[in-house]
Amino acid sequence: MIRDAAGRLGFAPSLAIVISAAVIVALVSITSGAYPLSVADILSVITSREASDPVASMVLLEVRMPRLLLGFLVGAVLAVSGALLQGLFRNPLADPGLIGVSAGASLAAIAVIVLGNTWLGGWLAMTGEWALPIAAFFGGSCTVLLAWRIANRFGQTSVATLLLAGIAINAVAGAATGLLTFYANDEELRSLTFWTMGSLGHAGWDDLLVGAPFMLLALFVAPWLARPLDAFLLGESVVGHLGYRTDTVKKAAILVVGLGVGAAVAVSGLIGFVGLVVPHLVRQLLGASHRVVLPLSALVGGTLLVAADSLARVVVAPAELPIGLMMALIGGPFFLALLLRTKVI
Amino acid sequence: MIFRVVAWFLLATVFVSSAQAGDPPRVVTADGAITEIVYRLGLESLLVGVDTTSGYPEQTESLPKVGYLRALPFEGVLALKPDLLITSEQAAPEENLDRLARAGVQVEKLPSAWTPKAALERIESVGRLLGSEERAVRLASDLRSKINRIQQASSARGSEPKVLFILAAGNHSVMLAGEGTAAAALLDSIDAVNAVSGIQGYKPANREAILASQPDAIVIAESTSGQFEIRSWPEVERLDAWQNGRRLVADSMMLLGFGPRLPDAMAAVNEVLPAPSNVAANDS
Repeated sequence: MIRDAAGRLGFAPSLAIVISAAVIVALVSITSGAYPLSVADILSVITSREASDPVASMVLLEVRMPRLLLGFLVGAVLAVSGALLQGLFRNPLADPGLIGVSAGASLAAIAVIVLGNTWLGGWLAMTGEWALPIAAFFGGSCTVLLAWRIANRFGQTSVATLLLAGIAINAVAGAATGLLTFYANDEELRSLTFWTMGSLGHAGWDDLLVGAPFMLLALFVAPWLARPLDAFLLGESVVGHLGYRTDTVKKAAILVVGLGVGAAVAVSGLIGFVGLVVPHLVRQLLGASHRVVLPLSALVGGTLLVAADSLARVVVAPAELPIGLMMALIGGPFFLALLLRTKVI
Repeated sequence: MIFRVVAWFLLATVFVSSAQAGDPPRVVTADGAITEIVYRLGLESLLVGVDTTSGYPEQTESLPKVGYLRALPFEGVLALKPDLLITSEQAAPEENLDRLARAGVQVEKLPSAWTPKAALERIESVGRLLGSEERAVRLASDLRSKINRIQQASSARGSEPKVLFILAAGNHSVMLAGEGTAAAALLDSIDAVNAVSGIQGYKPANREAILASQPDAIVIAESTSGQFEIRSWPEVERLDAWQNGRRLVADSMMLLGFGPRLPDAMAAVNEVLPAPSNVAANDS
């Protein structure tokens, strides 16, 4: 039987479909771009270490490869974080933005863009070209920790308080970001506008080197939370009755999201939509068990982001669209179609 | 390691051979003023692409656009197979400029020009890079004599008129130009001062501040023609300067670009200033 009682595909066939989609999208991504590279060029670069065309090998090995991997990781982390938070909050509207990660990360990044020449000159001198990603990472993680500290009373983490604290932190960080935007000069304004739309356009191996460890850690820890999160679906008290340490699960989930999303935002800017929608897509197709939702969200999120990025760099070539824009453009209608077809979340 | 050495060697030979081939260089410009200079020098046939800040002259429309100069794509620029990329020091991201340089594109970042002197030097630099130094020097000295005439007239005025400088980028986004802007630099070049003090950069217009500014003249820089609608800004209309016709509404790239149209911009602003100034810059 390929389909279960609810008419959904089973885990194994869906996994096969998603993996093959990922492979196809990866191949398309590697072969498409503004710079014309034929499949033969690509094969010759891969097979012979001494490339006939050094520029082709540079485009392939130093630009498209790191970009593909980074895009996949960022998409996977954002989607998994969304799934974790939706499970934790039992709220279909939860996404990594909710507990303040994105707001904190963007506040820190925009502070570096706007104040880099004045107040934060010392920070810039200390961190060099990594000033922005490191700041974004710290900003994201710190806001998560803050939200979590606020929600933590008497050794218990109140999920409702966490949610509200997240909203308040978002508001404050948003206001501070607005204030910085007001004081920004023309150039800074443009940089920060582009940053908030997300981009993989500058991605290189060094970005991967900095961001990947945190993102991989988040991705590897997430599956351990699948069973307790399934228990969360039945209500918070059930988690304890089933023998899981409720608070440890919450802590782990928040930490995973803080680290993963902090690193993702740091290397690629703000990319919305993936975290909110991908888990829903997966649940629509495969059911709500986190043992399925988490790994498949990672694969689907990564694939979707790579697909969006491939499109973003060819539709207006030789220019590039911001990836966040592309993501919402292709993901939004797709999700709407799915909603219309099933009419339930 | 050996792979790298071989790759560098090949890269070098490719670059050298393409330079020796004697074909005219393929050039991408990423900066509105620099693109204008290339056109003014009559070298537009070399251009294979421009950025989105290059909107003047109109012929730039037909060239491929590589995006915004602060978000230049690596592959996009490389796909145009340029020999030379001329841009300003604002160009970003740095990673992509480095990669372009390593892929054999000569990347030239020119300092931004906010004085007439620097603007003329930039014209000469562009000419030098494109192998037409003589033509560029001639253009620069031509513009220099125009600028000198305008500046003589403006300094003869003896007073420093106050100018309200407004940047209109859409009817609901009207900004006042403050210190550290190209607008302030333009006013400075013709011995005028900003009527609004204490603002850094371009800030959303405060209607009361406009009324309080009491300018001698009003300059409105539009990013698209017809963008500023005076009827939504009664406080501007009420100012004496507006009533007396000491006002200029003009294209923002012309006014603020510090490109080859700088003398036109200086003359146009000078013309609406109150003091006796007989400037004749449009003698061509």
